[in-house]
Amino acid sequence: MKSAPRTKGGLIGLCVLAGVLVALTQFGPLAKDGGSLLLALLFWATVIEGCVAAVAVGTVIRAKWVASVKRELLSVHPLLLFVSILFLFLVPFVDSYPWMGRKGIWFDKSFFIGRNFALLLFAYLAARRFSIACEREEEGKSSFAILYLFVFVVSQSLMAFDWVMSLMYPWISTLLGGYFFIESLFGGFALSGILYVFLYGRPHPVGETGGRSDMKDLAILLFGFSLLWAGLFYSQFLVIWYGNIPEEVSFLVKRLSSSPLRELTVSILVLYFFIPFFVLLPGRSKTNPYVLFAVSLSVLLGILIERFVFVAPEVPLSPLALGIDFFALLFLFVSFVAKGGAGGRILRA
Amino acid sequence: MDKPDRLAQVEQDVLAAMKRPGTAYLAALGCSATLFLTLLGLWAYQIHTGMGVAGITHPVGWGVYITNFVFWVGIAHSGTLISAVLYLFRARFRTSFNRPAEAMTVFALLVAGLFPLIHLGRSWKFYYLFPYPTQRMLWVNFRSPLIWDVFAVSTYLTVSVVFFYVGLIPDFAIVRRFKEGLGKRIYGVLSLGWTGTRRQWKNYNQLYLFLAAFATPLVASVHSVVSWDFAMSIIPGWHTTIFAPYFVAGAIFSGTAMVITLVVPMRKILVLDRYITDDHFESIAKILLFTSLIVTYAYFVEFGLAFYSGNPFEMEQFRYRALGDYTVMFWIMIFCNSLAPLTLFVRSLRRNVKYLFVLSLLVNVGMWVERFVIIVTALARDFDPYAWGTYTPSFVEIGITLGSFGLFFTAYLVFLKTLPVLSITEIKEHL
Amino acid sequence: MERRMVFTEREEFLSALRDLAREGVSQDRLRVETPFYVHEVDEILPPKPAKVKNFALIGAAGGTVTGFAFTILTSLSWPLIVGGKPIISIPPFLIIAFALTILFGALSTFFGFLLLARLPSVHGFVPKEESGNAFVITVETGETK
Repeated sequence: MKSAPRTKGGLIGLCVLAGVLVALTQFGPLAKDGGSLLLALLFWATVIEGCVAAVAVGTVIRAKWVASVKRELLSVHPLLLFVSILFLFLVPFVDSYPWMGRKGIWFDKSFFIGRNFALLLFAYLAARRFSIACEREEEGKSSFAILYLFVFVVSQSLMAFDWVMSLMYPWISTLLGGYFFIESLFGGFALSGILYVFLYGRPHPVGETGGRSDMKDLAILLFGFSLLWAGLFYSQFLVIWYGNIPEEVSFLVKRLSSSPLRELTVSILVLYFFIPFFVLLPGRSKTNPYVLFAVSLSVLLGILIERFVFVAPEVPLSPLALGIDFFALLFLFVSFVAKGGAGGRILRA
Repeated sequence: MDKPDRLAQVEQDVLAAMKRPGTAYLAALGCSATLFLTLLGLWAYQIHTGMGVAGITHPVGWGVYITNFVFWVGIAHSGTLISAVLYLFRARFRTSFNRPAEAMTVFALLVAGLFPLIHLGRSWKFYYLFPYPTQRMLWVNFRSPLIWDVFAVSTYLTVSVVFFYVGLIPDFAIVRRFKEGLGKRIYGVLSLGWTGTRRQWKNYNQLYLFLAAFATPLVASVHSVVSWDFAMSIIPGWHTTIFAPYFVAGAIFSGTAMVITLVVPMRKILVLDRYITDDHFESIAKILLFTSLIVTYAYFVEFGLAFYSGNPFEMEQFRYRALGDYTVMFWIMIFCNSLAPLTLFVRSLRRNVKYLFVLSLLVNVGMWVERFVIIVTALARDFDPYAWGTYTPSFVEIGITLGSFGLFFTAYLVFLKTLPVLSITEIKEHL
Repeated sequence: MERRMVFTEREEFLSALRDLAREGVSQDRLRVETPFYVHEVDEILPPKPAKVKNFALIGAAGGTVTGFAFTILTSLSWPLIVGGKPIISIPPFLIIAFALTILFGALSTFFGFLLLARLPSVHGFVPKEESGNAFVITVETGETK
């Protein structure tokens, strides 16, 4: 593809193409490695929902920096519909979950698929309604933002508990739901940072100091969220480490006992916390677009690696399938942002 | 009104609270002081007779004293949130609340600090908790959550007192101007000779910013450490990863309710309507609603995952919590913390100060009960049915609980008469 | 003769300050007193970076180092295995180090402030002249450049 598609039809066509590609990897010769689609979805559903959530949060607290990247962030919300359909491709994979066959409505396969699909769909609908409200500058857009945030919290929590935590059934961690939606929000802010740098990033002239600037606000937000994330990570880690209960600590042991998972786990800490915190600590770096870009990229990489570390010991993964799924979604994401930024009246179905 | 007149008006309005106390004030002070003396009396009785006069026994070794400790530490957090965190967010509405909120933090911490001492029994052995080497050069066990508490709460108390004092320095200079004789000298010394020069303001601003930046992580970390007193155990109902953010949200929730409980009557009695408006209360109400939702989320997740896991101990613990011996307390907690605050989605209720006051009382009760339910039900019924039991607080414990409120309100009433109740300098700056 | 100009209006005060700055009066001879922080003053007079943050940084770093050093060295001095945890158990020690970081940082910032702002200043305890809500410029005797 040489240039981003300019029409609604073009975007839908791209989606269909991507869907077919993903289906091939899921149901074709690589079908044994269903985990790859799960991982790709774990990353992209998080990031896309996070983008819209970032705008929603910014709208509710009336943050000033939101206005500069709002349109681009909201333009990716149709991908939530695509992601929900892709989730259906995971149906055969669900059979490999360890809780399959247990009695109780919660463990009923159709209910599992149904509730997660429904939540992704609701997230799409709520995001769409919110996006339209923002487009038309409606009075009630805060209410739609709050509605979306409710759906977002439930959707992300269930993503954590159902998609990831139940892979290790009967291991439970009550914090995982909150952990996931904070990461999603963090990812949304990181993506805002990347978009901001692409759209407006010129290094400020030397000597311009003080005062409020969108870039500085975003940098402070990323700084604060890195601290918040570190606190949540530590809360979960400390409780599991300290109790040392065999059925619970196996989660940590599997991921910390041997290379390469051990190094990857440490890298998560570096990417999510140490880099954003220490790099954004000095005042001068907060107005440097290169720094903001690097930190945002570090956070997004952290999300990806962490999701990998979560699922890798539990599911079979194929690099090829993962690559295809991941880059298909990345390409779609970029196309939507490019289209949306240029005047996104397209996907108003 | 002209600008200089308005500045003088602010001073007059706020300092009016510091004039001679009337009968109503003295009556209130008398009541709370009596409650406080009751606390001291009952504590003396407990030290004299022994811990048996309290209801705590096997298996519930932590009861109302620890509930009070967690409750009061929690209340302190909201004050720091309002003064430090909202400062970093440049939230304008904070200037009308931050002085009473900071005072609330300091007093709540002082009250909270009493409870580990009371709970010790042999209160004179309190120094065991401090990090010093024993005669045989053995230091304290830094891996114990109780020691973490010592560090976290002491740090929090120190930083809060410093932050509170720093905020008061320019205001002390103002009070110094209005006093004569001994009063002038006392406030003069307290103001450190502040005159408002450029050097002083420049450094002061950076100091305030950094203190706010240091105090902010304390809001999250101190109550997380307190929650880890419970989460580091392995009993069902306590050993759960969500405790840290859940307790922090709960702390801000109960603290915000206490701010409303304190500020609503204060505004009425001291006639401060011009400075504390209904808009301010609406913003505070939104914080109340938000933290209530987080607490409700935590309830759902805890219960849901307990039954999801299929672990018989977890399932029984949560069934017991909702339907067992303490079921009345549990449903009071659900009503006060999760259901009643939902009404704040209605804008007119958020702006109705009388309604907010009543709701804040409900939340205070609900959050106290929540701490009680968490602590007592988990201890009453853990793994081994042979070790199950129940707990009823004795009159000593109940009396000391009421006395702690007496101490808090005594301190607060004294604050109203001796220190400027609003941050005059900050209000002037934003006029 | 020491010149003392008292203004009740902020704008008059700022324009007088601008005039003085334009006349070339050196900064050491100017003393300004305001009832609250006026940021224009820092724009009119040449800026002097506040050094309080150095105290904050040093205090905080000192706190982290102390926290870890204290806990690790005392654990090593009498290595007892408690609760099955390693002798040098970083997760719990991190909490102590975190608390000390904040404590030392806050205290050192406060004392740094006292040092830099030259407080407590004894002559200000019971000052002869209170500027109150007025904006005051005091120009000390000396040569104008």
